[in-house]
Amino acid sequence: MNHSETMKEAAGSARSIAQRYTLAVGTVAVAFGLASAFTHFKLPQPFSAFALSAITITFWYAGTAPGVLAAVLSSIVRDYLFEPNTSTQSRLLFDLVFLVFALLMTQVLRHRNQLEVRVAERTAELTQTNDNLKREIAKHNQVEAELRLSQAYLDEAQRLSHTGSWAWSPPPGDIRYWSDECYRVQGFDPKGGQPSFDEFLQTVHPDDQARIVEVIDRAVREKEEFEFDYRIILPGGEVRDARSLGHPILGPTGDLVEYIGTIIDVTDRRQAEKERERLREAQADLAHVSRMTAMGELTASLAHEVNQPITAAVNGASTCVRWLTREEPDLAEAREAALGVIRNAKRAADIINRIRSISKKGESKRQLADVNELIQEMIALLRSEARRYSVAVRTELNAELPKVMADPVQVQQVLMNLIMNGIDAMKNVDQERELTIRTQWADNRMLLISVSDTGVGLPPQQEDRIFDAFFTTKSHGIGMGLRISRSIVESHGGRLWAADNSPHGASFHFTLSTPVEVGA
Amino acid sequence: MIAAGALRAHSRYMSCKNENKLVAIVDDDDAVRGTLKELLRSAGYASQTFESAEDFLGSGHQQETACLITDIRMPGMSGLELQARLNAERCRIPTIFITAHGDEQMRFQALRAGAVEFLPKPFDDNVLIESVRAALNR
Repeated sequence: MNHSETMKEAAGSARSIAQRYTLAVGTVAVAFGLASAFTHFKLPQPFSAFALSAITITFWYAGTAPGVLAAVLSSIVRDYLFEPNTSTQSRLLFDLVFLVFALLMTQVLRHRNQLEVRVAERTAELTQTNDNLKREIAKHNQVEAELRLSQAYLDEAQRLSHTGSWAWSPPPGDIRYWSDECYRVQGFDPKGGQPSFDEFLQTVHPDDQARIVEVIDRAVREKEEFEFDYRIILPGGEVRDARSLGHPILGPTGDLVEYIGTIIDVTDRRQAEKERERLREAQADLAHVSRMTAMGELTASLAHEVNQPITAAVNGASTCVRWLTREEPDLAEAREAALGVIRNAKRAADIINRIRSISKKGESKRQLADVNELIQEMIALLRSEARRYSVAVRTELNAELPKVMADPVQVQQVLMNLIMNGIDAMKNVDQERELTIRTQWADNRMLLISVSDTGVGLPPQQEDRIFDAFFTTKSHGIGMGLRISRSIVESHGGRLWAADNSPHGASFHFTLSTPVEVGA
Repeated sequence: MIAAGALRAHSRYMSCKNENKLVAIVDDDDAVRGTLKELLRSAGYASQTFESAEDFLGSGHQQETACLITDIRMPGMSGLELQARLNAERCRIPTIFITAHGDEQMRFQALRAGAVEFLPKPFDDNVLIESVRAALNR
């Protein structure tokens, strides 16, 4: 409150005091006037009645002090103006009456004031309560708006993810909550209200119903979570794939209160999985065909590679027979020769097994594989092919490298393609024909495998096209080798690329990732 | 000096007349080479093995060699090239070819150049031993 307001209030209260005392004087004057008028018309003298009214009015409207003043004024007016000739006893009696009346009025006034204070207090309380209510209503409205927004977000999320949510009291209870998305996924009309469990079951494919009931019954008995896949038959006859999960809610005493859970429409996901599976199969088929094509080109060399140990074994067997059929059989020599037969027969079998494992058609199997070992095996298999074209094969293998997580057959297919391409590139060159296979560390825990030749180099201006399907510079070949090799390497998380060598030839590099924190 | 050179040339020419009884085996496959040597030993013939045609030529043993058993396809010089080279040096060693993939044309070429036998791998030991014996008894 500032200074001018204080002044204003003081002035107002001064004016109010003046008014209140004026009321005392005024009412008494009016009483005196009315009494004089009554006397003038010879009516009984009612001054006291008017005076008492004046005192009452003053007390009521102006308060105690002006009321007392009115009482005193009334006594004076009666004693000295209205009835100046009355006796002292009469004057005292009237004075006493006014005094007592004034005292009574003081009491009345006090009660009235107390009542007013109480009313004011009660009013204040009510106002406060009212304000609180208003605030709470506003808060409630805001919460409700937030809730509605949250529900809208949730509905949208359920719609996007094809996931409905539900709550269900186990038998003899029923479905307590069933979200909009549940209606949509399960093919119910929302206008039909929440479905019963039996109604839900009726939308399930007949072949899946018994299994669902069994899964749920067991879960309810054990108070455990449940999860099942099933098919929904929509009213139009369309079949959808769905999955439902349920989580038990237990009361404080461990009793089963209800299940809350989800229904997910997995039809699209299933479809995509099936398609991916088909694609994988097609890729595996293609890779197999490509391997077989490559092996077909190698038939002569592979036959030679098998023929060598067989020749050695036949030599050994012949030698053995000769030692035994001498006039004096030499058993020690015969035994030595027989051991050689075993060794060489095993070597022939190893080579055949290697050829078979590469030719085998099977699903891709990832395992820990030693890249250096795979390279050595592939070189052993392709040795005759290299020899056929007078190609020297050199290796620079880092023996410290860890194993990789890979499909060994597919990695060998890549190696086979690259080595055969290298040999092919050197068939018609006069300079030294050398194929170098190198293994080393690359960045990010990747291994780098390089196959370099001293051949004709990459086709000029077409370096990028060599990885395209059906691109080939060879008279034989279908142009799938590098394309498939690249897709194999990429499916292993690696990269395959080519570069020209200086002064001649080309290098093919590919990377394979090593598993983290796995002992080699 | 000239006389000494002429004498060396003469002695080399003479050595190619198979005055020695050495059998030489040229094959790049360790196992084939080794078992062949053992087979000949069991038949009573000493032999010496060479990993490549170049090794054989560089060894200087061709002078003492009475019979040459060689693979055809090898890294570097092939068996047929070795034969041609020896013929060019007027060192006609009775030669037995053993090969895993010899065709008729190869066989014809080898025999025309003076090969005594052309055997596909694996071969009958009796045929080989007979051929060696025949070569050594020339």
